[in-house]
Amino acid sequence: MRLILALAFAAGPAFAGVPEAVNDHILPMTARFSNAAENLSTSAKNDCTANALQDDFQAAFDAWMGISYLRIGPVEQDGRALAIQFWPDTRGLVPRTVARLIADKDAAAQTAKQFADVSIAGRGFAALERVLFEPKFSGYAPDSYTCTLAQAMSADLAQMADAIAKEWRDEYAQTVTTAGDAGNTTFLTKSEAAQALYTTLTTGIELNADQRLGRPLGTFDRPRPTRAEAYRSGRSLRNVILSLESLHGFAQALADGPTPQIDAGFDIALQTARDLDDPIFAGVADPQGRLQVEILQQKIKALLPAIANEVGVPLGVSAGFNATDGD
Amino acid sequence: MMIRTMTAACALAAFSTPLMAGKADVLNTYADIAQAGYEDSVTTAQRLSDAIDALLEKPSAQTLTRAREAWIAARVPYQQTEVFRFGNAIVDDWEGKVNAWPLDEGLIDYVADDAGPTDENPYAVLNVIAQPTFTLSGQEIDATAITPELLETTLHEADQVEANVATGYHAVEFLLWGQDLNGTDHGAGDRPWTDYATGDECTNGNCDRRGEYLRAATDLLLSDLEWMAAQWGAEGEARSTLTADEDAGLVAMLTGMGSLSYGEQAGERMKLGVMLNDPEEEHDCFSDNTHNSHFYDGLGIRNVYTGHYTRVDGSIVSGESLSDLVAEADADVDAGLRTQLDATMARLAAIKSTAEAGTSYDQMLARGNDAGEALIMSAVDALVNQTRGIERAVTALGLDGVGIEGSDSLDDPDAVFQ
Repeated sequence: MRLILALAFAAGPAFAGVPEAVNDHILPMTARFSNAAENLSTSAKNDCTANALQDDFQAAFDAWMGISYLRIGPVEQDGRALAIQFWPDTRGLVPRTVARLIADKDAAAQTAKQFADVSIAGRGFAALERVLFEPKFSGYAPDSYTCTLAQAMSADLAQMADAIAKEWRDEYAQTVTTAGDAGNTTFLTKSEAAQALYTTLTTGIELNADQRLGRPLGTFDRPRPTRAEAYRSGRSLRNVILSLESLHGFAQALADGPTPQIDAGFDIALQTARDLDDPIFAGVADPQGRLQVEILQQKIKALLPAIANEVGVPLGVSAGFNATDGD
Repeated sequence: MMIRTMTAACALAAFSTPLMAGKADVLNTYADIAQAGYEDSVTTAQRLSDAIDALLEKPSAQTLTRAREAWIAARVPYQQTEVFRFGNAIVDDWEGKVNAWPLDEGLIDYVADDAGPTDENPYAVLNVIAQPTFTLSGQEIDATAITPELLETTLHEADQVEANVATGYHAVEFLLWGQDLNGTDHGAGDRPWTDYATGDECTNGNCDRRGEYLRAATDLLLSDLEWMAAQWGAEGEARSTLTADEDAGLVAMLTGMGSLSYGEQAGERMKLGVMLNDPEEEHDCFSDNTHNSHFYDGLGIRNVYTGHYTRVDGSIVSGESLSDLVAEADADVDAGLRTQLDATMARLAAIKSTAEAGTSYDQMLARGNDAGEALIMSAVDALVNQTRGIERAVTALGLDGVGIEGSDSLDDPDAVFQ
């Protein structure tokens, strides 16, 4: 995904909602992801076979959906967002990289430190999903290399999740909430921090519409069901729902007042999503199923004006990013 | 929105009188450099075409080497024109035919065994050279004759997949070098000259069709470049669009500089490659010419700012520059940006000299090569820095509406916040 970064525009020092968004939403969500990833890693140490790990994989991925849109600071540090989930994989690098690690019995899986140097196409949820859910890999034995690899992938995820939670708690929360203070070189004004958070909010909404739904939708003549996110683990729709739920909480926290339009918009979008009987968007290939996914896409896009009215305007910021796709 | 528009208007009012005359000259210099760059691309592509004629007429190790040398030379002027891409819609709409990358090269010709169709691209290993007829998106395709038209209208971006690159520099590059199977070890693609041999000497099959493809792709490249050079001529559409509105023209210049610096080069081409440790993430992955590709991209950005371009025959195109205009508005901003552009060039030169001394770009990408990673990341940081300088220039000139394209792989989007 590409982003267009427009210039921030200066406005008054509107800041209300920023400390709430950090303290009431971001910090609990990053802690939750860290705990879930730690559980996954602990389980993998006890039993690294696919059957034993699938539930913890799902729980950790659920928690990642709570913060995956938070593309500033610790989540972006060292390219973590892409290392945690390399998607979309437009060139099929994940299956090739995973197959190569296994064929080579790559020694990097032996230590977490070495594994952190592996290609991001061989790390994170996208790679682990192949190992745990793709039949050609998932039947591995407890004493196999693939089992060790699943442990390494889980430990690596736990390490990144822990770093994100720690850095937010110990450092970045303060960086955001002290925006504009002397000595804050990241955010030179309060408005810059407000805009950075606001931008992650609107970009997150757009990502659900344009990527999570837009990629499998493709065009009417050429729908692309195999481009659905995490369809091997059956998570495509679940990711949309969990992401929207978290974005709703984030929008409420960031808003400096009541949010009736936002609440109504999220209620409709989430109800539409929950009513959709198509967990991996396989239905995009037939006209009726496609229409259902398109309706959901419209309900999600309709959130943007409500967010602009009830969050952007009071904060005095406009979206710095527009999501665009590809070259 | 109101406040910002007013600020921009005030800035314009304050500076517009002394700068009015300069803007037209600055835009002319820019268009002249673009025209010269595309003309030089035509000149060097013509030499490439001649060398390919010689290869196909008399296939040998020597004629193949000559053709490869001509391709590398042809990249020097072309890469310096990439800065015209973002900001000028006419270039961006056309560019995909000429320089699309990365590609699923298995569409075109044989590849190593480990490739196959992907979730994204069912035609990733179609191999047109081996198949005179095939089915594409439900249609029977007759490819018994490989023509520029077949490549352009049927194969390029087949099935609406961008990685199905059938035309342009990188298709020709693949046909001259073949896949680089050395991973992150030293060495480029090593296609044998006998892939173009006639009769029994032919290796890997279908040598005549391979030659036909190479000829067709080169002809198309040449005609596409000629078309673009004409668009920048005195009556050309690219030039007239650019000069129709002076402020919009300046925005196009700065957008091109910033988007190439930040999202495209620093992010998509350099940082993502380091994160993937993937030698195929090299921009010129078959020929191992990536160090030059990055270097001349950077030089093209600098050319636009300084209003100065050295042509392939050594002559110089120069004139009143964006730098002059920014210096009038704010001398510190101009000095800062010049320093940043020079720093980028120094770091790109370090990558180039390292590669030329025998440590190729794909080796720098290798897992655990800390020195190589540091070398690449220092250039990424310099490119991100100069993007800040470009945004300050936008502010200094009181221009509005410049969108800098970013990339997910950049870890610090805040760096370009104003």
